[in-house]
Amino acid sequence: MRRELIVLVASCLLFIPVRAAVPDIELVIRDHLFFPAVIEVPADVKVRLVIDNQDPTPEEFESYELNREKVIPGNSKTILFIGPLKPGEYPFFGDFYPKTAQGRVVVK
Amino acid sequence: MFLSAVILILQELLEAALLISMLLVLMSVLRQRWPGFFNVALSWVLGAIAVGLAGAWCYALLTPLVSTWFDYVGYEVINGALQFVTIACLVVFCYALNPGLAPARWQARAGVAAVSMIVAVALGIVREGSEVILYVQGIVGQPENISPVMLGALMAAGIGTSSGLVLFHSLGLLPQQWTFRVAILLLGLFAGNMAAQAVQQLTQADWLPFTAQLWDSSGFIAESGISGKLLYALVGYEANPSLLQLVAYLAALILVALSPLFRSAWVPASKAEGA
Repeated sequence: MRRELIVLVASCLLFIPVRAAVPDIELVIRDHLFFPAVIEVPADVKVRLVIDNQDPTPEEFESYELNREKVIPGNSKTILFIGPLKPGEYPFFGDFYPKTAQGRVVVK
Repeated sequence: MFLSAVILILQELLEAALLISMLLVLMSVLRQRWPGFFNVALSWVLGAIAVGLAGAWCYALLTPLVSTWFDYVGYEVINGALQFVTIACLVVFCYALNPGLAPARWQARAGVAAVSMIVAVALGIVREGSEVILYVQGIVGQPENISPVMLGALMAAGIGTSSGLVLFHSLGLLPQQWTFRVAILLLGLFAGNMAAQAVQQLTQADWLPFTAQLWDSSGFIAESGISGKLLYALVGYEANPSLLQLVAYLAALILVALSPLFRSAWVPASKAEGA
């Protein structure tokens, strides 16, 4: 009886939703460019974008397709969440230096 | 650099410029319609702009610190909070001003409305202005970019101010009842815009859950185009909004639409008096 109870409790525990670990994707801003300029992300998962602005100037990460917008002060790190996304390409750019700061998220 | 500066500064400036014109239109309509109901001197609005600019400067200085709060999503959380306070101010404004009340009660309520209006204008400038200040501060370290950016800033200021004036005067061309109706409707849509933006910020910070994207109208009106940017500043146009953004947008709009001020504009006078 006791063993059955343990099995029952253990099998119930399996169904408790565990908050899935959100994968980190790192992005560096240097000389008003994004490194890497193309980020690959799996479809239908939320991703934590860790952006490290190594320039002394602030930048604004912006993407109409991803519906994201965030100012990142110079020489600082920031975090923003994207997704879950459908497969496809989602361009992003630096609103303060849009001529050079261009990149895209490729969702597969 | 010049063109990027014009576009960047203009899109930050437009929102505040359009909010100020809507409020100025409302002030002038209310003054004509019910003398003594809501008389706020223009100097109060100018004061709000000055306070907003000072606040924007402080917020820009604090941005590096604020950004590190709440595990690096402090910027979204504070921006979202500022947007919710702006909505609250606009809602208080529309509920405080009730032309159906006895004129003896107008003055006390006009004071509350004036303070809400001023806080809304100042906060709008704090949020948008701080971005422009951060951008311009970054440029100062690049001598070759200073003059194109300064020229761009001047041009953006010119276009932004003219857009506000165009909105103000074109609303004034309508018959008075319609000036009132359109101005208060725009104020409601502006509140909706703030709500949708706040939801976007908090979703990006993972403080609000992800909700499905409802549609994609970027092929029809792209957010990156001129009409997209103008519509974004005026009514919060979003080419690919999420469900939660739409819900928040409608909730704020409905809250304004149920207010006595909105009803006094849109419900025929005979019915409004009977209510």
